[in-house]
Amino acid sequence: MLAITRRIATAVVLGSGALALGLGGPAQAASNKGPINIGVIAPYSAIDGASIINGAEMAVDDINAHGGIMGRKIKLFKYDNHFSATEGVRAFQRAVNQDHVVAMIGIWISEIALAMEPWSGRLKTPFIVTGAASTQIPKHVHDNYNAYKYTFHDWLNSAFLADGVCDSSHDLLVKPLGYKTAYVMSEDAAWTKPLDNEYLKCLPKAGLKVVGHTRFSPDTTDFTPVFNKIEGAKPDVIITGIAHVGLKPTVQWHDQQVPILMAGISAQAGASTFWKRTNGATEGIVTTSAAVKGAALTRKTVPFTDAYTKRFGTTPAYNAYTTNDAFYFLKAAIERAKSTNADKVVAQLEKTNYVGNIGRVQFYGKNEKYTHGLKYGPKYITGVALQWQHGDQVAIWPKKVAKSKVILPSWIKNKKHASK
Amino acid sequence: MLAMQILVDGFVVSALYGLGAIGFTIIFGVSGVLNLAHGGIMVTAAMIAWWAALSFGTYWGALAGVGAGVAAAYVTYYLVVRPIKFSPKIAEEEKEIFILTATLLWAIMIQEGIAYLFTSNPVTVRPLVPGVTAFLGVRTPTNELLIGVVCWLVIGLLYLFVNHTKLGKSVLAAAINPRGLALLGFDLPRIQAFVWGLYGLLAGIAGVLLATFIGASSNNVGDLTGSAFSIVVFGGLGSVPGSLIAAYIIGYFETATAYLVTPAIREMPALAILVLVLYLRPQGLLGRR
Amino acid sequence: MAPADLIDSGGKRAGGFGLLQSRLFWLVAVALIVMATVPSWASGYVLGVLTIAYYFGVFAMGWDLLFGYAGEVNFGPTFLIGVGAYAAGMLNSYAGLSVWPATFAGAAAAVIGGLMLALPALRLRGPYFGLITLVAVLLLQKLIVVFAAYTGGEIGMTVPSVLAIDPSVNYYYALVFMAVSGALLTAMARSPMGLILQAIGQDPIEAQALGFNVTKHKLVAFIVSAFFSGMAGALFVFYLGTVSVGAVVALGIDVQIIIAAVLGGRRTILGGALGAIFLIAASEYLRPIGELSNFVVAAVALAVLLFFPGGFLGWLLHPRAKS
Repeated sequence: MLAITRRIATAVVLGSGALALGLGGPAQAASNKGPINIGVIAPYSAIDGASIINGAEMAVDDINAHGGIMGRKIKLFKYDNHFSATEGVRAFQRAVNQDHVVAMIGIWISEIALAMEPWSGRLKTPFIVTGAASTQIPKHVHDNYNAYKYTFHDWLNSAFLADGVCDSSHDLLVKPLGYKTAYVMSEDAAWTKPLDNEYLKCLPKAGLKVVGHTRFSPDTTDFTPVFNKIEGAKPDVIITGIAHVGLKPTVQWHDQQVPILMAGISAQAGASTFWKRTNGATEGIVTTSAAVKGAALTRKTVPFTDAYTKRFGTTPAYNAYTTNDAFYFLKAAIERAKSTNADKVVAQLEKTNYVGNIGRVQFYGKNEKYTHGLKYGPKYITGVALQWQHGDQVAIWPKKVAKSKVILPSWIKNKKHASK
Repeated sequence: MLAMQILVDGFVVSALYGLGAIGFTIIFGVSGVLNLAHGGIMVTAAMIAWWAALSFGTYWGALAGVGAGVAAAYVTYYLVVRPIKFSPKIAEEEKEIFILTATLLWAIMIQEGIAYLFTSNPVTVRPLVPGVTAFLGVRTPTNELLIGVVCWLVIGLLYLFVNHTKLGKSVLAAAINPRGLALLGFDLPRIQAFVWGLYGLLAGIAGVLLATFIGASSNNVGDLTGSAFSIVVFGGLGSVPGSLIAAYIIGYFETATAYLVTPAIREMPALAILVLVLYLRPQGLLGRR
Repeated sequence: MAPADLIDSGGKRAGGFGLLQSRLFWLVAVALIVMATVPSWASGYVLGVLTIAYYFGVFAMGWDLLFGYAGEVNFGPTFLIGVGAYAAGMLNSYAGLSVWPATFAGAAAAVIGGLMLALPALRLRGPYFGLITLVAVLLLQKLIVVFAAYTGGEIGMTVPSVLAIDPSVNYYYALVFMAVSGALLTAMARSPMGLILQAIGQDPIEAQALGFNVTKHKLVAFIVSAFFSGMAGALFVFYLGTVSVGAVVALGIDVQIIIAAVLGGRRTILGGALGAIFLIAASEYLRPIGELSNFVVAAVALAVLLFFPGGFLGWLLHPRAKS
């Protein structure tokens, strides 16, 4: 289609930023007795946006049911950024100036996180990014600590995500299936730049020679040409980096029976509603995510997944786990600081050592490469690889939580070269 | 191989574009309305098809979608277009801009309504026929071939209807000279109302087919209107053959660009051509002035 | 409001002007005084909403000059706004130009962009002109997305400088800018030039027969519209500290601008500002109903269009509209 404007919705009434409530009367300044205001921000209408909001609501309900933070209840302010950086910034300004939030949590898209990041410094408000992956987020904190120290990155950055994909591909594809070549296919976005760089470095080390690399525009409506080109290169597997785009490549891959397995990261495939949205075309897709139902990464994983699924009718996407965690370690930091003062809370957040839904949360320090970024590794957080099998998300990596192996869709031949 | 792929893929995409645009151009011909809620009607059909298919299966879903398209077209006509056309408060020469603005607003309402009810995540309707077929040496989803066939079948039926039935002939006449037809004693408002139903049918079929091919979401409302608008102006406002030719030119240009250059700039050459044509031949390919 | 009979009924264009002008003048003066006091009693939140609304007011006023007077339906005001906004943002980001030079450079870029668009496009009429302006937005959007490495693509880029962080200061920037733009645009619309434009808009052939150079006058209107739109776009960017396609180069925004101008009352200039303030304020007011707010705003606008086609200002100034 002449693809043109997308999202009239987004922009229709530009005013439509991301306010929670408040019809204009000046809000009360935060007192020491009233509730503690915390903001959460995401594009509501996306699978991976709703999951952030849902994860936050579960945390707030639970914390409030158990006495709140230092005896004060949390009041949650929700903001919809409608996929726009501008709306994200406006929401952040409003959250701080009007709603007096003590911290802002969420964000699904890296570009929006990056636009908001300087504002966490300007507004002196802790900002915990739970759903974006760009390495630039912690890098900014590292390069300009005083201005950016309010930002924390509570999700694996792209380079770590790529490492996770390489490690799992080695264990799942190279050894058991004899795969030797890979084709990297990513959407053109801030988070995939470091992702692709790392893919190109770590895939060969994992035993997969990269035979081609395509970055497609998030606007792409018809993926036939993309798949056509990839098939021509005859790779054993397509390693993906897709999040903002999810449905179309998946559906076309299935409908056209592209005879090559898709593995890597397909962020939307992490939530179970993706099955309905794609009419089952996601069967066979392998993706890395934060966690998956039934895979007990920590003792919190399974209860959280089940409670979430029961409440919202879908399994959580990766950022529901991280957003949910963020409220607990923020609570802990505020309690240790005995204050909601931004600088004091930041100092305590840096000392976070919290076992959450998907592993142990710790942040890298001021002098490390990814300052305020989530620590990666078997002792901390690695994520899991899952595959859609018979309409269900099944953990296939790491070994300690794996329930199954890779199953190839019927139209993919189980041979070294799946070309015709 | 690549050439064949472009040939097959471009054919289907263009047929879909053409089907989407024909209704738009007929409405303009008969009632002088540029319906900027066009994409909204297509997406409504697609969404209802998806939703109904969840409980009643793909075929009933598709049927429900087409029905929803017709209903949406009628609502557009009676709620938005007609009141302005017959409003005594609006000067005759300003009605055009009023209808444009009003249908735009209506498009927003449709889009927001759909986003509210179904979220703005895209959905796909299950292919009407599953599987793939090797066609001219190209592995193509059977459904895609079916889309091309259905589009041309509908276009063919439309041709027969317009040229060989009394009602169809009066529609054609209304498109050429509405006043003359009224003078001959035809009930013009009734013909117009009928044409809106016909339009809904075409847009509905196009919307459902689109949803089985690349999916649809409320965010596509603007895209689809823009695409139909461009094709119709390119082909010449009010000209059905012009729209079809324009759809094929744009469709093939886009497909060739996507395959030979990169999908990222798929639309750009087609848009540039469009601008060029408008400068050189402002009435479009087959337009009357 | 003052009684309608003060205006002679048939004489919208004839004798009514001086009188109208003075009445409008007092209305505007009172409104401006009230607006100037807003920061002393309203919250930062209200200021933020109004700041945005004022920039939108300038967008809508610029559009009205082109449509209301020159009779050209510009479907793509965000082409001009976007060129101004991105030029200013990128000059600030990459060339290190500070806020004000970048703003004026943005306005200049919009004028150049406007000229490039208008010179050929003005040969066309009606829907064809509309389509060209629409396509211009789409092409600009595509360019921005394709050159994502420099522009931040669809999602947007962050600019290093901002106008001010304090909401009151930002508010006054926007208010003064809107007031000055409104005054200049109104003066232009009321000048002989504006009257000629109006004549052209209503009957180009007759106007040409009377010896007016139609294209030249339209071109001037386009350039003026481009200047104010581009500058408003640039200031908008420095207010937010980010520039993104969704905010400044989008059909959705175009639609909103057109709605604001039509709601406020076409051929009134100031109506655009009124419509924009209503539109933005209404959508904020309705925020608690969540995702449906845009739906309701569009529905209200549609109802106004159907029942009060003269728009707010038309209704205010001509309560008994001509039938």
